[in-house]
Amino acid sequence: MNVAELSRVRRSIVPSPGDTWVEIARRELPDTPEAEAVSSLQSWNLHVFMRAATQMAGQPNPILPSDVIFVEPPLVSR
Amino acid sequence: MYDLLIKNGKVVDGSGLPAYRADVAVQDGRIVRIGHIKDGARRVVDAAGKVVAPGFIDPHTHFDAQLLWDGFAKPALEHGVTTIVPGNCSLSLAPLREEHRMKLVGMFNQIEEMPLKAFKEGVVWDWESFAGYIARIRKGLAINVAPLVGHSVLRLWVMRQAAMERPATQGEVAEMQSLLRECLDAGAIGLSTSYVDMDERLQPVPSRYADAAEIDALASVLGEYGRMLQIVPEFYDADLTIARLDQLAELSLRHNIPTTFSPLFVNADNLEAVNRVMRRVDEQFARGARVWPQVQTRPIDISFCFAVPSLLFIRLPSWYRIMRFGTPDEVIAAFREPDSRARLIAEGAAYTGLWPALTLRHVKTEANRTLVGKTLGEIAQLRGVTPIEAMIDLSIEEDLDAHFLSAAMGHNIDAEVGRLLAHPRVHIGASDGGAHILSFSTYGDTGYLLGHFVRDLKMMSLEAAVKKVTSDTASIWGIPDRGLLQPNYVADIVVFDPVLIDRGVEDYVGDVPGDGSRYVRDSRGVDQVFVGGALAWSAGGGYQDAHGEVLPGEILAGIAA
Repeated sequence: MNVAELSRVRRSIVPSPGDTWVEIARRELPDTPEAEAVSSLQSWNLHVFMRAATQMAGQPNPILPSDVIFVEPPLVSR
Repeated sequence: MYDLLIKNGKVVDGSGLPAYRADVAVQDGRIVRIGHIKDGARRVVDAAGKVVAPGFIDPHTHFDAQLLWDGFAKPALEHGVTTIVPGNCSLSLAPLREEHRMKLVGMFNQIEEMPLKAFKEGVVWDWESFAGYIARIRKGLAINVAPLVGHSVLRLWVMRQAAMERPATQGEVAEMQSLLRECLDAGAIGLSTSYVDMDERLQPVPSRYADAAEIDALASVLGEYGRMLQIVPEFYDADLTIARLDQLAELSLRHNIPTTFSPLFVNADNLEAVNRVMRRVDEQFARGARVWPQVQTRPIDISFCFAVPSLLFIRLPSWYRIMRFGTPDEVIAAFREPDSRARLIAEGAAYTGLWPALTLRHVKTEANRTLVGKTLGEIAQLRGVTPIEAMIDLSIEEDLDAHFLSAAMGHNIDAEVGRLLAHPRVHIGASDGGAHILSFSTYGDTGYLLGHFVRDLKMMSLEAAVKKVTSDTASIWGIPDRGLLQPNYVADIVVFDPVLIDRGVEDYVGDVPGDGSRYVRDSRGVDQVFVGGALAWSAGGGYQDAHGEVLPGEILAGIAA
């Protein structure tokens, strides 16, 4: 089996250096209005977005360099 | 004249092939002959009616600290485990600068529930390098150790405070690569990292500040040696787990390394999620990648008393706060004082199903002994209170030495767990041996496998189950000369009774340095355990005192897997 034959899974990226929600939204969802794209990204990535409230004291950007960021909703919910 | 002859046993040789009756001869620590043997030996063991198998290999432990005061890794050895892999989940005790010792102790305390006092009173800190740590534990080693080096620790060494703040620069990555090579040369069997763990400040551990380029650079070093990469993924979510295993697959293919992720739990509410993960594992293996999910054999249960913090209360902030930061007197005061008591009861009200199902498992007073074994629901009825009030009252009466058990909290659907364990691309592991010592016993998983899933439920053959925890593990990790009963293999051997093999009952014992205690289990049905041909434990004699002789445990660095 080669990589092209892998079944489709939920699309994700790893952050580029310094990425914020806005930068990811502009890059990954260019056809979606920015505010809507950011809101969508945050709702698809609660494992990162919710971190802001409880963790990362003193750091405004909750996105860690090692995070997986989903750039589409769960496949099963479509 | 052989050193050791194990006669008349049923040989389950670790290959998965059918068992056969034979004698096993050992000379100079290695198996030299298997068959019908008439020659004599200095030690002869009659194994009639017993199984003779290779020693079990436990690939996911946190014995890093315990090995400093206990070279047997008790009670792992008495369960037939002859090789352990510590250093999982991005945490090892080396390489470690003196200035970072307390930082690392804090992380072990937060993540693996290792008591601070045990480190303070049980550890003589006389190493910094990985080689220094290896030299330190080698002195009294009775069990074989194949240690991982932790990614968080590498980052701390190279980046110091910045390890907990940002990605590494190219120069820092190069330094980490050199340091990793040093560790691998000194005996590390691979690298571990974590994507979920939090440190003692409840901030992400250093490994979580690494970007993909850093992981790739470190994996390239593992590729030079053909060594293992272990990760803890976001195991609570299937999409995240699949994304991580895809990352592992790319690293495995690019650098030709084995990888493993742990844990993978199966529950009533995630059956399809686990199926999706396993379908992805199958696909990635079909590409030639090696991405081994680790599955534990035992159900999840948690024991606790209010003298120490418990994972069970981590979502109940008022409870967790008093357990984590309160002295025993303060905890009792919080339980007695009406306002505080009412607040705790109110906060616990959300968990209506939890409290009545808890079982009282240990008390110290005679007055309450008749209640041991009853649920809090039953005790509450007897006393005319609510279950949560019964728990508080018992804790006061027992001076916080009342222990409760929350049993079968998950991973307990036998049909599903057994199906996973038997899957050819599932790696049996994730015991967490040596960790979480104040919440549950992490020992006896192999006895549970062989007793529960093999003998009682007949979900796997004995030969297949033994292969899973011996030669499969040795092959996956590149551990040479172990995991099989064959001539020239090292004589790590367990003799057990297939009718009796099991894990024992969980017990709370006070054998941790600093007057600490922990939950452990003894073994059932294990007769004798040999490491490198030397008797390390027997049912009749317990752990073997070496009387000044060199103990048989070795550091197993592994070969290209």
